[in-house]
Amino acid sequence: MLIDIRSLSLKVGDHQILHDVHLALNAGEIYGLVGPNGAGKTTTIAAAMGLLNREGGTISVLGDDPGIDARSIRARCGVLPEQNGFYDWMNAADYLGFFARLYAFERTLREIQERLTQVGLEPHPRQTIGTFSRGMRQRLGLARALIGNPELLVLDEPTNGLDPRGRREIHNVLIELSRRGVGILLCTHLLDDVDRLCHRIGLIVHGRTVAEGTLAELIQKADKRTRFRVRLGGPLPKAERGPSHVSIVAEQGDWAVVDLDPGTAPAVAWRELLLAGWPVVEIHAAGGGLEDLYLSLTEDKAA
Amino acid sequence: MSPVVVLARKEAGELVLSPRGIAWLLAMAAALSVFGLLLVGNTELSLLDNAQVVYDMAGIVTALGALLAVVVGNDSIAGERERGSLMALLLTPISRAGLVTGKMGGLVIAWVLMFLIAVPYLWAVGSTGQNLVAAILGVALFGTPVVLSFGLFAMGLAARLGSSRSSLIATLIALLVSGSPVVLGPSLRQSAIGRMFDAINPFSGAVNAFDSVIIDSQPIAAQAGRLGLTIVWLALATWFAYSGVRRLAR
Repeated sequence: MLIDIRSLSLKVGDHQILHDVHLALNAGEIYGLVGPNGAGKTTTIAAAMGLLNREGGTISVLGDDPGIDARSIRARCGVLPEQNGFYDWMNAADYLGFFARLYAFERTLREIQERLTQVGLEPHPRQTIGTFSRGMRQRLGLARALIGNPELLVLDEPTNGLDPRGRREIHNVLIELSRRGVGILLCTHLLDDVDRLCHRIGLIVHGRTVAEGTLAELIQKADKRTRFRVRLGGPLPKAERGPSHVSIVAEQGDWAVVDLDPGTAPAVAWRELLLAGWPVVEIHAAGGGLEDLYLSLTEDKAA
Repeated sequence: MSPVVVLARKEAGELVLSPRGIAWLLAMAAALSVFGLLLVGNTELSLLDNAQVVYDMAGIVTALGALLAVVVGNDSIAGERERGSLMALLLTPISRAGLVTGKMGGLVIAWVLMFLIAVPYLWAVGSTGQNLVAAILGVALFGTPVVLSFGLFAMGLAARLGSSRSSLIATLIALLVSGSPVVLGPSLRQSAIGRMFDAINPFSGAVNAFDSVIIDSQPIAAQAGRLGLTIVWLALATWFAYSGVRRLAR
């Protein structure tokens, strides 16, 4: 296991920021750490990297305790912090070369160019970072996190400031890294990123992990139905018994709004609909997924 | 290459390549030019003894060097923190001690550049050049610990205080207080409080050593006590910086 955090509690000054945080990340996994602003996501990352001392609980990162050997952990991790500043007077290649040397790597210019290309950043060699757009800076930050060939990537809001194409490109980079066995802790409030990328999710509210698991598990645990809009090519069959795992919420002309029962895989539900004789033309997600789950869980805990 | 050297090289690069660093060095050169012109151009000041003029210039070089070190030291921690680049450094494998040492390397390079800029001014104000070697040696030997002490003190304070502005103002006040006996004149310095302050103040230690070496032509070896005072302050400031940076992000 790359990260194993159990019952983590932490104070900053007199403020109790974390009460009871759990997190388990395996190699090759993308773990989404989500929660409202101020929930303790960034503090959890800081504790995992040895920047903050914990009050209670245990933390193991790459087999080491960050309270004892933070440098060894940092040498094997790539981190993109939320507060992501640069040396504006440098160019991208010099900047990455500087950080590579801090990781005790002497990267050739070609290797540095490969890292820049990997994240979709190809500036003019003499262009200084001061002239970069926000999206270019975000990509450079990701290249910096990758410069030491990390076993573990910790990314705090990595797609902030990126356009939809840029976000998709970064998603592809992260998926490729995950396939190569790199564990990725993705801290974000963009639920679309979580939905698209993460194998497992941890939800933190007020410094406590209130839910952890795969999206399907969380929806099942929270008894949240997944809602879809189904476009129909004709009227619904008048059968006495409809599909058993799907309930119709509303019918609006050619469209029907349906809820899937908790834990029902969408593919199973669609087969049921077809077997029941539904003239299905197309299906769209219509809420009831991660966003609804997030809102209901954060609302419950905030209340 | 050691991460400490890598960081020190980056700090030096920032000083000579970034617009901010270039502006600081140009400001120092401009200040030296103004003081140099005053010393040789002003009717009253130009009547001063040659050794006295070189002594004055040595004090000015040390004071400006300390000012530059305060600005560089403060910016290297508080400025980086406010620009968001310090966190990326803290997340690399470099140790906190390595971070301070690398940043201290940047201070040393800033002072060396300032010193090189100052040498022609020392030569220019001492028209005969007879006190030049004593002045250069004096500034190098007694000025260096004072300048680095203020830079490290600024780093330690910047690591402890939340804002760059607060730490800069606090360090500048400390620099002004330290330099005040030199400004206030000999009568106050002869009082009991003045003498006590002189005995513990590193700035006074350096300036009094300049007086003995440049004006009175005493041997440098006779200034061991004053050198010791500046080195004690350098050691204290180094500890202050290390302990402050160790607490960063904690």
